[in-house]
Amino acid sequence: MTETPAIHDQAAADAGMRARRRKFWRNNQGPLLAVLSISLSLVFWQVASTFWFDPFLVPPPSVVARAAWPMIQSGEIFNDVWISMTRVLVGFISGSAVAIVVGVLIGRIKVLHHLLDPVIELLRYLSPTAMIPIAVIWFGIGEMSKYFLIFWGTLFIVLVNTVAGVWRTPIARQRAAECMGVNRFEIFFLIVIPSATPYIVTGMRVAMASSFMSIIPAEILAADSGIGYLLQKSSMLLQTDKIFVALITICVLGFMTDRVFRLLVDKTLSRFTSSTSI
Amino acid sequence: MLEVRNLRKVYGEEPGGYVALEGISIDIAAGEFLCLLGPSGCGKSTLLNILAGFEEVSAGSVMFDGRPVKGADRDRMMFFQDAGSALLPWLTVEENVRFALRARRVPRSQWDDIITRYLSMVDLNNHRTKFPAELSGGMRQRLQIARALAVEPRVLLMDEPFAALDAMIRRRMHAILTDIWQRSGQTIVFVTHDIAEAIALADRIAIMSVGPCSSFMKIMDVKGARPRDMGDPASSAMFAEIERLLTPEIRRSEERLG
Repeated sequence: MTETPAIHDQAAADAGMRARRRKFWRNNQGPLLAVLSISLSLVFWQVASTFWFDPFLVPPPSVVARAAWPMIQSGEIFNDVWISMTRVLVGFISGSAVAIVVGVLIGRIKVLHHLLDPVIELLRYLSPTAMIPIAVIWFGIGEMSKYFLIFWGTLFIVLVNTVAGVWRTPIARQRAAECMGVNRFEIFFLIVIPSATPYIVTGMRVAMASSFMSIIPAEILAADSGIGYLLQKSSMLLQTDKIFVALITICVLGFMTDRVFRLLVDKTLSRFTSSTSI
Repeated sequence: MLEVRNLRKVYGEEPGGYVALEGISIDIAAGEFLCLLGPSGCGKSTLLNILAGFEEVSAGSVMFDGRPVKGADRDRMMFFQDAGSALLPWLTVEENVRFALRARRVPRSQWDDIITRYLSMVDLNNHRTKFPAELSGGMRQRLQIARALAVEPRVLLMDEPFAALDAMIRRRMHAILTDIWQRSGQTIVFVTHDIAEAIALADRIAIMSVGPCSSFMKIMDVKGARPRDMGDPASSAMFAEIERLLTPEIRRSEERLG
């Protein structure tokens, strides 16, 4: 008689526990699987480099971590990260700024569009990598050549997106504003630019990713510092472990910068970027 | 109030361009509810855009209060079918109305009262802080109505405003619009391709032929007190008559588009 309730309690508690676990799994499925994905990849890599590949050519994660530790302790890696990041940010911000200003003007002024578009359509196929040789001659191997290359890559991506955003501003939105007595100048700032913002932000995200891709060849070919230079130097010295440290650093850096960028956009521009899907 | 005389609208160069409208003449009285009715491709939206001042006439004249229409004017408010693109999606419901008041240079002290009055009129006062994306299609259209009315235009130009809404919501919008129109005494020019909608709403219906060279085939007075029911003998007789007029036009429209 006295035992039955206890068993019931136990069963209820078990059921409750199971339900909580299920709920925890449902709510955190994404992050849990992400951790699993990275861990499994590391395990696979460790096993593959130990048993299948030559550990010198493909050093396992344990070896890479051992190579990374002194670089982290001495701050050497952070120095390179800092230098590369500065180059990316200077080029990215200046490139975006110029692209947005020129882009809204091209999008609004027909003559300007017909005048500039042919040149842009040709030049945008010159990737930053293609521009490295001439950039070195123009600006040397100092910081300026790297700023220029990132600027170059960012410019065209953000420009094309900005123009598209200005063009896609619904005509109804502009006309409705005209009916309220908003003048042309105000329509430009109060209607067109906010309407184009999601496109501009998307362009900037793509440009950010491409900046990370272009800084590496630029530093490999024309620099004496930065992550790209670290890659190049380690390659010359056949330090495959350090090469992998550099490669992983690029992955983490690019990922984190994109997340920070998205966070900033969400904090400051979410009105413009999240409410467009009507 | 609005006088249209021998209006002609040609796209492209004359001769050889596409003549969209030809020989359109009508006087629209203050406080009138006029429907422009016709199948797609009859140039009714073009005519509305000309009345708004968005497009220019090729020949003839459009006078508003005795002065030729030139460009958009705050007295003639255009109302669009796609509320999603007409509204400002980055502003909340009340901010959208406030934007219109600020543009119209209404004194700041009156904003709150006006916003509350017009949002209540369209039943949106409980959704003031929502963004347009969080509203249903009918609610967005009501917000557009509130925004358009808040600037107190003398003429409302409506381009198939309820065509994208489902039938139940559309009936509700008709009731709201009729009510507002009867209270405010504003002039409304309402474009539609729906015969029943035109009969339900209008004082007069201008029936348009299919382009090229669209013109009014007939202008009919609609009698009978509102709300009008399609079951009324008068309404259903009118429906049948308009349908007879438009059937060959619809066929022409299909042939042209097909």
